[in-house]
Amino acid sequence: MTSKNLHHDQIYIEGLCNNNSSIIETIYKKFAPKVTHYIKMNSGSADEAQDVIQEVLITIYNQAKTKGLALTCPFDAYFFLLCKRKWLNELKKSSNKEVTIKDENVSIDKDVEKLAIETEVQDEKQSLFDEMFQKLGEKCQEVLKLSFITKTMEEVAKKMNVTYAYVRKKKSICTGQLTELIQQSGRYQSLK
Amino acid sequence: MQEELYIAFENYLNNEMTLEQKNAFENQLKNDEDFKKQFELYKETNSFLEVKFSKETSDFKENLKSISENHFANSTKKKSKVISLQSKWFAIAAMLVVFIGVWYLNQGANPSYSDYNFHNEAHFVERSEGNPDLKAAQDYFNAKDYQKASESFAKIDNLTNPEVQLFYAISLIETDKYSKAKILLENVSQGDSVYKEEAIWYLALSSLKQRKYDESKKYLKQITEDSEKYSSAQKLLNDLE
Repeated sequence: MTSKNLHHDQIYIEGLCNNNSSIIETIYKKFAPKVTHYIKMNSGSADEAQDVIQEVLITIYNQAKTKGLALTCPFDAYFFLLCKRKWLNELKKSSNKEVTIKDENVSIDKDVEKLAIETEVQDEKQSLFDEMFQKLGEKCQEVLKLSFITKTMEEVAKKMNVTYAYVRKKKSICTGQLTELIQQSGRYQSLK
Repeated sequence: MQEELYIAFENYLNNEMTLEQKNAFENQLKNDEDFKKQFELYKETNSFLEVKFSKETSDFKENLKSISENHFANSTKKKSKVISLQSKWFAIAAMLVVFIGVWYLNQGANPSYSDYNFHNEAHFVERSEGNPDLKAAQDYFNAKDYQKASESFAKIDNLTNPEVQLFYAISLIETDKYSKAKILLENVSQGDSVYKEEAIWYLALSSLKQRKYDESKKYLKQITEDSEKYSSAQKLLNDLE
């Protein structure tokens, strides 16, 4: 990514990454009402808006954490577009709902759209990873979980009552297996 | 061997290689595209797992959830505030209704037509002999069906009898046909029949029904002391002042 000028709204991304309550609260105060309004105008409820907002914030967090996220546009536009697209997707999925989209024909800034699509691709990847993780053997799942929840591999070894070397090796192999599952899936190719 | 490869990836990521191993590894990254791709995916998978299972992430999700719930609970509270604001407006509206009602009643202290529209019964035909329209008009009038009475009166060819004209006019006032009523009543009031004063009285009532209070007063003042309507006229005049 060309390092374009970082938007000063990057504070919101960092606030999410650092689990900064006051920044997260500010995000809700400043940006959630618009999303809620939009969803309510388009056959949704406040509860559904709440879910969409929460999921989008987790998506943003995930991307920022795993890949890094440099905001090159206002957070408001980026966040709103993500929520909006997520909601429209959900409407499409539950097609028994009559889809009537009330949209102010606001032209979307290319930077915003590009960044939003990037985030969506990352989110797709995330769900692919999650899905493939479930396909791993039980032992692998346990080792991987423990090795990230627990601070040190020594502790993991203790918990599992095996040697440190074994845990290290097992962890590497299980991660490797996961990469194989991911590569084998057709979806991964389209996400690259 | 794939297993060896993954262990190497892990060692490199954890910086657990000798300098020699590290150099060799980095060299391969530069020159072996396939190796590089596999390593990139391994690295990505590793960071995905790290984010997925770290305590940081579960803390974040928990915190986010509670902030979210708080925010939406507050905004529904705001909604109930809006409702209470609305009920405030309802209260104001209700008070306005009361004020308007009181005002209207005060206006109503301005006398209304319905306080005075006690008409004598029509008795210009004794039996069903003679003019059937006149009989019908009389019957409808006495039954207070003024619409049908008007229609029957209208069918009468030779409407010269002041008494009949008077009752026809009353039917017309009752059905809000004021101008036609006025012509008939003026006709009667300018004649010399015993119905003269009564015609003026009804002109006054017609004006009253149309809330033309000044016009009504003008007529009422014309009613003489000799008229049986005099006391009613005085009372109405009094109420109108």
